[in-house]
Amino acid sequence: MSQQRVTRLLMISPNSMVTPDQLVRNVQTMAPGINVKETCYGCLAESDAETMRIVMEKVRATYRNEVFSKVRGYPAGDPRRCRAQHGTRPGYAQLEAEWECLPLIQSALDEFDAGKDDYQKPVDKKPLPVKEMKEISEAFR
Amino acid sequence: MKVFIDPPNSMILFDLVERFGHEPLSSMALIQEKVDNIEVDMPPMNVTLDDVVKGLKYAGVEVPSGIRGRLAIWGPMIEAADAAIIIENPPFSFGCVGCDRSNELTKYRIKRRGIPALTVQYPTSEEEAKTMVGQIKDFLGGLGQ
Repeated sequence: MSQQRVTRLLMISPNSMVTPDQLVRNVQTMAPGINVKETCYGCLAESDAETMRIVMEKVRATYRNEVFSKVRGYPAGDPRRCRAQHGTRPGYAQLEAEWECLPLIQSALDEFDAGKDDYQKPVDKKPLPVKEMKEISEAFR
Repeated sequence: MKVFIDPPNSMILFDLVERFGHEPLSSMALIQEKVDNIEVDMPPMNVTLDDVVKGLKYAGVEVPSGIRGRLAIWGPMIEAADAAIIIENPPFSFGCVGCDRSNELTKYRIKRRGIPALTVQYPTSEEEAKTMVGQIKDFLGGLGQ
């Protein structure tokens, strides 16, 4: 991976009271030498890897379960992707679908942070033993 | 540890894996490499000749080029991974931005590698979300550092 540039996508959970404008202003002050672009879902932040590591630590500390993040392949405002220049957004369908799930993930993370560690474990489906299958078949013969 | 995520560009999985202290292997980093260094416009939809050759290791010659292009990016990540987390049947995996055959081959490659893998579902309620996050937390906690 290129170490020259790291672009991160920061997305605000729909349940959060933080606005993209507040997020941009805060992220901008977290470290020198960072470029931040406001978007409808949050912001794009771009800097070198070390600065980004510091910024992400601060973002996690400030907006623990309200802001979610991932690395972005394209630079911020890239004309191949930027809507302002009629770029295509093939990944946007997924972002939108995951955005709808964020309040659920946020509440789950809040509960784990509050120490409520119990959750309903899904039942493992196992193949039916031949003996049981035979008994069922014979019972309904 | 390096954890492969499927869908490889999932933000929720990327965030959760990083949050719980592991390194997510996602398609974004590799796409950045191509965008920055060889100036391919739309990877994995635009591929280089090298990608096509590399993809042959993971998908046969009769397989459509889109699948081979995707697997040329995802295949090496699966080989580098120590574990994998898969979200089953994401609603956007089949259509103009998704490819179900690529997803099937990806899951097949993960099973063939025999690495620890966790399969979860996208949540539709708070209980399901807690189950999903809890499963991921326990799985990643059990992997060690």
